[in-house]
Amino acid sequence: MALLSVDGLVVRFRTHEGTIHAVNGVSFDLDEGETLGIVGESGCGKSVTSLAIMRLLPKPAGRIEGGSVRFDGQDLLACSEAEMREMRGRDMAMIFQDPMTSLNPVLTIEEQMVETIQAHRKVGNEEARARAIELLTIVGIPEPENRLRAFPHQFSGGMRQRVMIAMALALAPKLLIADEPTTALDVTIQAQVLELLQRLTTETGTAAILITHDLGVVAGMTQRINVMYAGYIVEAAPTAELFAKPSHPYTVGLLHSIPRLDAVQGEELIPIEGAPPDQRRAPVGCPFAPRCAWRLPDCWTTNPPLAPVRAAEAVVTTGPGATHRVACHNSPTPGEAAAGRPLREGFVAAPPPSAVADELAVVVP
Amino acid sequence: MTKYIVRRLLGAIPVLFGLSIVLFAFIHLIPGDPATAILGQHATAQRIAEMREYLGLDDPLPVQYVDYLAGLLQGDFGRSFINNQPVLGEFLRRFPATVELTIAAMIFAVGVGIPLGRFAARYAQRWPDGAVTVLSLLGISIPVFVLGLTLQYIFAVQLKVLPASSRIDARLQLDLQTNFVLIDAWLHGGWTFDEKVDAFVDGVRHLVLPAIALGSIPLAIITRITRASVIEVANEDYVRTARAKGLTERRIDGRHIMRNAWLPVVTVIGLQVGGLLAGAVITETVFAWNGVGRWIVDAIGNRDYFVVQSTILIFALIFLMVNLIVDIAYAFLNPRIRYA
Amino acid sequence: MASGTVAVARVAPRASRGLWGDAWRRLLRNRPALLGFVFIGVFVGTAVLAPLLAPHDPGALYPPPPDASSGATGPYPPRPEHLMGQDLQGRDEFTRVVYGARISLLVGLGSVIFGVILGGFVGAIAGAAGGRADNVLMRVVDVLLAIPGILLAIGIVAWLDRGLPQITIAVAVTNAPIFARLLRGGLLAIRESDYVLAARSVGVPTRRLLLRHMLPNSLTPIIVAATLALATAIIDVAGLGFLGLGPPDPRTPEWGTMLTDSTKFLRAAPYLIFFPGLAIVISAVGFNLLGDGLRESLDPRLKK
Repeated sequence: MALLSVDGLVVRFRTHEGTIHAVNGVSFDLDEGETLGIVGESGCGKSVTSLAIMRLLPKPAGRIEGGSVRFDGQDLLACSEAEMREMRGRDMAMIFQDPMTSLNPVLTIEEQMVETIQAHRKVGNEEARARAIELLTIVGIPEPENRLRAFPHQFSGGMRQRVMIAMALALAPKLLIADEPTTALDVTIQAQVLELLQRLTTETGTAAILITHDLGVVAGMTQRINVMYAGYIVEAAPTAELFAKPSHPYTVGLLHSIPRLDAVQGEELIPIEGAPPDQRRAPVGCPFAPRCAWRLPDCWTTNPPLAPVRAAEAVVTTGPGATHRVACHNSPTPGEAAAGRPLREGFVAAPPPSAVADELAVVVP
Repeated sequence: MTKYIVRRLLGAIPVLFGLSIVLFAFIHLIPGDPATAILGQHATAQRIAEMREYLGLDDPLPVQYVDYLAGLLQGDFGRSFINNQPVLGEFLRRFPATVELTIAAMIFAVGVGIPLGRFAARYAQRWPDGAVTVLSLLGISIPVFVLGLTLQYIFAVQLKVLPASSRIDARLQLDLQTNFVLIDAWLHGGWTFDEKVDAFVDGVRHLVLPAIALGSIPLAIITRITRASVIEVANEDYVRTARAKGLTERRIDGRHIMRNAWLPVVTVIGLQVGGLLAGAVITETVFAWNGVGRWIVDAIGNRDYFVVQSTILIFALIFLMVNLIVDIAYAFLNPRIRYA
Repeated sequence: MASGTVAVARVAPRASRGLWGDAWRRLLRNRPALLGFVFIGVFVGTAVLAPLLAPHDPGALYPPPPDASSGATGPYPPRPEHLMGQDLQGRDEFTRVVYGARISLLVGLGSVIFGVILGGFVGAIAGAAGGRADNVLMRVVDVLLAIPGILLAIGIVAWLDRGLPQITIAVAVTNAPIFARLLRGGLLAIRESDYVLAARSVGVPTRRLLLRHMLPNSLTPIIVAATLALATAIIDVAGLGFLGLGPPDPRTPEWGTMLTDSTKFLRAAPYLIFFPGLAIVISAVGFNLLGDGLRESLDPRLKK
């Protein structure tokens, strides 16, 4: 039984301007001790998915409107707020992107760590403090006894993120969700923090979800990757396989837009043209169609489901042998994936049907 | 932190000098002849000459200023023309009445304002919030004297539940030694405990309407700033982190939200003290309150210039001091400044 | 994917008409602001149309009602000929309230405009020049701000003697520091901001910089502050009048002055307090509502 099982999750935000379809039916599993990467650009729903799992969506705007989430055998969506509160911090923990704003500026590190521990365990101040020192040592903060009395603004960015990690792992949760943990940090510090995360989660056997827009980050850290776009998972595969055989046009595009040191001189950087979709409207057809060079007429009308790349395979959802799945009507071939564009003779991306064309600006070069 | 305090104190010095210059100009630079302006058209030449001598009007201006400053530092704030008493003494005699009123108004404004602001923030964008917003709007749009008169009319004239004016029922014959009615009630309000309680309660009853009228504007402003501050803090990332750690809502509210939301409110409270001092002038006039405010108004009517000048100076000094204290308190409460 | 079609999805394209156009549209959708407009309309309309609305002369005395005891003077309660009653001397309250709107509008507007010009001038110099001049000017502003609100105005009127022009100056000086700080702060922030840097780096000349980039952005907080200042100006002017610092001529219908000494006849003639008081409140509420609405709609970052 998977530790975490998300099935058909739908999250919408109700705002003044209408409804935002943030997550449109996301399903994935996670085993104990596994590290899953969720990759996608801003607005694709990756953060919202994890907030939904922890039931931390901003109220009253954010609502889970469909699907289920099972964690450690429990249906999270049926839990009361009190039950969720018990689980948060103790069984499942989350660290966020900006450690400066994620720590309370008027409380000392000690106060913030001790309260985490005491929220879930009946321990005295001394014992909690000792545990806090222990945790700070584990994450590599020098002189922890002194640093406890410091305030967040007296730490550097990397240190703060280590403190956040320490707080998250304080009670040895089964699941750790890291939402863009290194985006706000310098590149050199990024590597350190990621290495720390990997080491700790492996040592403690904590399952982890690593959310990022940076493919480079997930490459070394994860066993499997889900690629998300516009609230859908468009491709799911073990990490190595995703990089070797990307099967969704969006993934291909992502891989080609990373500048690489070993690229051939003069080779073009191929950006993904266009902009992310407006999520105020429920999607019709494949959400990536407007930007896709491989699109077929079907792509405009039917949203392809997430299905195994090699058809008729039994679907394995977790572990290193997980099935490589993709949501695409017309996957790029390996050669096209390497080139970054369709190579078939005379292939032209299907133009939008007239009803849709009115709202699109189509530029033919 | 000490550096901060020292810097603030040093920064206040030029302002103090500037103040003294402005208030020096108030008398010594009156358009026309200051002596005649003070004494009025019908003064004898003799008296005018005496006044000119007293003010040193024939000396060069810098000399006049230094004399003035020296006088201030020794406690000589001039004399009132009505009874020829030193202004400082008269001021101190009346000041407790204004202080009592100001403190009562501040207690009202803060005691109702902060909870109301938190309440509005809790129900943001829904009808309780709207109601509170309307209330604040009225609070800043109704002049203190209009509110005071209205309160008098409703509660004193129509409902007859509260007294309309003055500080204490004259029939109680309270001996005002300290001039703090609430203190004098205990010390001198009669021989028995019951008599003392009666006097105290009577004093409180007289305080209610003026305190509400005077405190209405600070109440509105404190409510607004508390609401805005709580809403802003509630949306901060660290509150989300606190939730993710599984803390109870009560703890989040008390420790994480309020500890941060306090900060702007503290600053505003300091500023409002100035507003209260200024507003006391009007409130005391409406409620026949024997404090400094009423004294200023009478003094203006009587062209009692020294009184007006000195009272404004002292109020400004108090205001500056309060702001200094508030700034230091703020630096103390905000670790980012305390451990810069 | 470099060649091929590029499709950009759009939803209901709305041309942005620049900062002012957008702000105006947002303002019109803000309901409290619209209510403010209504109140202000009533206020300004009354002021402008005073001669048409008011049946009588604000300074003239009128005879008492036929059933009054002989020899008694006013005040007299409302009756058909005098809708808001008559004051102590027998003047028509309704006319006085209506004409009082003119005075409040003129004095209020005058004091705010004067305050903006005075304060803005000082603030602009401080903000643009920086350094020594900035320091000195801001110290002066600090001194003025050290004297709380009405006290400063009272002091100035005491110095200049009572009267409407004096009140205008006094309230203007009381307001000026706010605008000085606003303008200075705005200029300072913009002078060092990224987009000015960007404009300069492509060679935009300084004067054009000032006019097209810096000024419009510093303007918006001033517009908001001026509107709100108008509300407090109306209240402060009435307050000064109430204290007896207003026009010496009792025929001039200034709202605050009409309420002086009114504690004495609170019992006998509450209507004399109610109507001018209500007029002040309506006018102040109007400008406060508009000011708040402007603040919301002119903040370009709060795209609703």
